[in-house]
Amino acid sequence: MVKKISIFALAVCLVAGLSGMANAADTIKIGFHAPLTGFAASDGKSSTEGAKLAVNQVNAAGGVLGKQLELVVYDDQAKPAQSIPIANKLIGQDKVVVGISGSYSGATRSAAGVFQEAKIPYISAYGIHPDITRAGEYVFRTSFLGEIQGHAGAKLLGDMMGKKKVVIITLQNDFGKSLAAGFKDKAADYGISIVNEYQYSIKDRQFGSIVAKVKADNPDAIYASGYYFTAGPLVSQLRAAGVTCPVIGQEGYDSQKFIEIAGPAAEGVIITTSLDRDSKVPETADFITAFEKQAGFKSDMVAASGHTAVMVAADAIKRAGSTDPAKVLAAIQTTNLKVSTGTIKFNALGEVMKAVQVQVVKDGNWHHYDVIDDAALLAPPAE
Amino acid sequence: MSPVFRAACERLTMLYFELLIQGLIYGSMYAIIAVGLTLVYGLLRILHVAHAGLFALGGYMGLLITNSTGSLILGMPLAAAIVGVVGMAIYRLCYQPILDQPPYVALIASIGLFIAMEEMFRLIFGPFGLTYTNAPLQSVVQFAGIYLRAVDLAIVVGSLSLLGALSWLSQKTRIGLAWRATVDDPQIAESFGISVLNVRYLNFFIGSALAAVAGVFISLLSNLVEPTMGGVPSYKALAIIVLGGLGNVAGTLIASLVLGVVEAFGTIYIGDILDRDAIAFAFLIIVLMIRPEGLFARR
Repeated sequence: MVKKISIFALAVCLVAGLSGMANAADTIKIGFHAPLTGFAASDGKSSTEGAKLAVNQVNAAGGVLGKQLELVVYDDQAKPAQSIPIANKLIGQDKVVVGISGSYSGATRSAAGVFQEAKIPYISAYGIHPDITRAGEYVFRTSFLGEIQGHAGAKLLGDMMGKKKVVIITLQNDFGKSLAAGFKDKAADYGISIVNEYQYSIKDRQFGSIVAKVKADNPDAIYASGYYFTAGPLVSQLRAAGVTCPVIGQEGYDSQKFIEIAGPAAEGVIITTSLDRDSKVPETADFITAFEKQAGFKSDMVAASGHTAVMVAADAIKRAGSTDPAKVLAAIQTTNLKVSTGTIKFNALGEVMKAVQVQVVKDGNWHHYDVIDDAALLAPPAE
Repeated sequence: MSPVFRAACERLTMLYFELLIQGLIYGSMYAIIAVGLTLVYGLLRILHVAHAGLFALGGYMGLLITNSTGSLILGMPLAAAIVGVVGMAIYRLCYQPILDQPPYVALIASIGLFIAMEEMFRLIFGPFGLTYTNAPLQSVVQFAGIYLRAVDLAIVVGSLSLLGALSWLSQKTRIGLAWRATVDDPQIAESFGISVLNVRYLNFFIGSALAAVAGVFISLLSNLVEPTMGGVPSYKALAIIVLGGLGNVAGTLIASLVLGVVEAFGTIYIGDILDRDAIAFAFLIIVLMIRPEGLFARR
């Protein structure tokens, strides 16, 4: 009996496998890696859901080149040591047409080299490290560089809000350091003097001593980098200690979870990001509703970035009229596409050129505050 | 003394005082996490890394019960009791069968168990972490220009009184006598009619329940319970119990408080060169170079 069942099970598996293969031949594969386990699993989940939504939308509209898109997803745990074999697998075994990273800078940088070597186009959805696109002409980025967002932060604080005495609280990783570097780079241009800078590690959730010191510094505003899980506790601890000055964050805060963690303390926090919650632009508004419907939780910057990267890839394959990597590459280079995070165009290095959205927390939700569209300030490096 | 200079001095004294208080808060948290670990080591000579998993489980249980009943008074003791029982189960199912193996076998089992627990939390409760619907103990108390949340005070008072109770239990009661006897020499203790197994169960129950209390406290501090919240305690508590002299409860308490204060000041004054989590280990290396038996080792 047991034997019969196992033979039956084997047969089912074989049939399922074969039909899977038959299916595979009719699809165009897009490779995707993101941290689905480990410390960055929440961002991995968001970016993957965003990418899946894009694939579903493209397929519902008839797919590309008469075929359906198929998203091949692997878990890289945000580790470079995982993303390199994944990149090799996506290229060698899955034969993907385009690779997309829904992961952090470290894992993205290492995979970028592999894709460049194999001459397969590769798009980083939200990795911020400058070296990612320097891997070569096959590598693109649909989000801002950390430095560029730091520039926007300096303009926002010094120029638009008129705050001149600033304390910087920096998350000690690629993300936080490049934001701080960009901010300091442009601070003097907007008359900002930096009183002090403090560093914390991504594992920190208790900021008591930094908060005590910031209070003694008594700044006009705080420029603090972090992710929702560090920024949420940081902001609530600052407010509980009686620090009332404005707190400026970035896309790392950009999650409903930040507001949930910080509670009433989140009110009035302002961030630079790439998703405008109050947007009337149909691409963005549709994304926000469709995402919540599919994923069951509210969209964030990471989700919109995963969605954007897949949309850029699908659009390029469509315009190339082929899955030939060189043709797809040429098509990505000439991208001019309106998507959830704005209008995407790339410069010679493969860096995106788009406007920075400024959002504020009001009544427990992210809302439009302003937009920074200063092309000279936001110009990414071209080589 | 010029008034400007005096004002500057006052501000600095104030800052140092605030940092000292923050250090005591950090230190009390470390103490109740580390004490369970040092108890297990004292009794079984096992480095119980999965203790940090129980700490996270405590956070989850406390938050879930508090959210569904609206009462932390219910949430915290229930979380402690549940996690205490899970701690006993871990001893029975994971450690007891391999007690006759060399110590690294238990260490590997413990690390494996810890990783499995982290991923299990992620699968069951999701990767985003959970928050209190209406976080308790967040009201701000103000005295002498210092703002503290009720939870800050609760951590210091709660940890120190729990550790005081533990010390009373071990020094003044018959259970404590049996416990100390078993730590000294399990075979002789057994021949005097002490149930070594019961002592071990009790040990795991108390240690795990304390870890759960710490988990609930930390979840209240940051209003966040996440799958990886045990990550930092998993190794920092090891450094603390080595500093405190392995198996020494009083030493662990002092080491925790000292480390908390060193971290509170270190984050501000040497944060550029040394990460907060690295401070514990730099401190550990220095102490081990000078006193290889730990700060407060029993001879």
